[in-house]
Amino acid sequence: MNSTAALHGATVVLGDRAILRGLDLEIRSGVTVVRGPNGSGKTTLLRALAGLAPLSRGTRETAARTLYLGQRAGLLRGLSARDNLRFLASFRGDPADGVGPALAAWGIAAKSANRPVESLSAGERKRAALARIDVERCDLVLLDEPFGEIDDGAAAQLLRTIRRLAGERRSVVIATHGRFELDAGANEVVRLA
Amino acid sequence: MTLHRIRLMAAREARAERGQPDGLVAAVTFVATLILVESLAVGPLAATQPEVASALFWIAMVFAAILATTRSFERELEDDAIDAVLALPGGRDALYVGKALALTALIALVALVGGALSLLLLSLDVLLAGHLALVLVAGVLAQVPVVVLFVVIALRLRSRAALVPILALPVLVPQLVAATNGTAAAISGDAAGALGWAGLLVAFALVYSVLGLTIVPAALE
Repeated sequence: MNSTAALHGATVVLGDRAILRGLDLEIRSGVTVVRGPNGSGKTTLLRALAGLAPLSRGTRETAARTLYLGQRAGLLRGLSARDNLRFLASFRGDPADGVGPALAAWGIAAKSANRPVESLSAGERKRAALARIDVERCDLVLLDEPFGEIDDGAAAQLLRTIRRLAGERRSVVIATHGRFELDAGANEVVRLA
Repeated sequence: MTLHRIRLMAAREARAERGQPDGLVAAVTFVATLILVESLAVGPLAATQPEVASALFWIAMVFAAILATTRSFERELEDDAIDAVLALPGGRDALYVGKALALTALIALVALVGGALSLLLLSLDVLLAGHLALVLVAGVLAQVPVVVLFVVIALRLRSRAALVPILALPVLVPQLVAATNGTAAAISGDAAGALGWAGLLVAFALVYSVLGLTIVPAALE
């Protein structure tokens, strides 16, 4: 497989509505931007690639190391950001010693990193989740509206990170409404109706 | 599925419950209140009968298990934490087994507190304390896989709070009968009876654990 991930004739039905119908898509290294109006299936497409949305028809091929970051941070309450990231890295079999530096790089100081995630702001939780990109170092990174809730500094850092990942020949798929500057550097822009 | 991943998942659950112990607190409070109210409702004489005391205890435990398990999965749904796990290789299997193990420990703790409270409130004389402990452990082991299974099945439904008891209680009736009879046997000194019921409860635990392992990964998809 030359592509990092692919969907072949993928149909996803949620309730009584087909969100994706017979979609063919190959994800190669570099940046793929997914655009479309609300309800067009951007999130469902990313979830299908991550294996989180079952395909009613069609097939899916996905990189062994795939990171899915949804619109919400995906961190378990009751645990600190550090413990959440250490658990997720250890579960993959990755060393967890990169968690502290990664959180610090995304602006989460040691004191905040050790607090339960429910005591952090939504933006801090999102930044902590984005630090997973640096900890888990996956071949395919799926980002669903990653610029929501983060400040300008973190957004600039995320843009730099996306370019770095593309430079490392990794694949990044981003579902976003804005950030049209991403389109210029993207190797594909997928438009969902 | 590796033991390492199951251990990580169980440790994550235990740590989250320690950080935000609302499931444990709610379950203990619920068990204590229910045992007290039930014993008042049936009257002090009836409540001290081994069969009645055991039934009151296990009815309270079934609801406490549903409460604590539901709360545990509610926490997973907040902020979509469950998606981070399900997207990991082996996440679905480890989620079920790890959660079931951690919740078994938590419900066992609730059973310990509830059991002590029952003995204290009802002034029960236990003739076979070791057998009673065995039945308590087996009863908890038999309950948790069923409750986790039905909480997962109803996980994405808005009416899950109402659906889980409706789905789980009919399936839990045999375990409830076995646990009640085993507990009553241990209290009244029937060693063979207590061991027999405990064995049946362990068999229930094994059957529903295997069933959960088969069904839950698909249900989570």
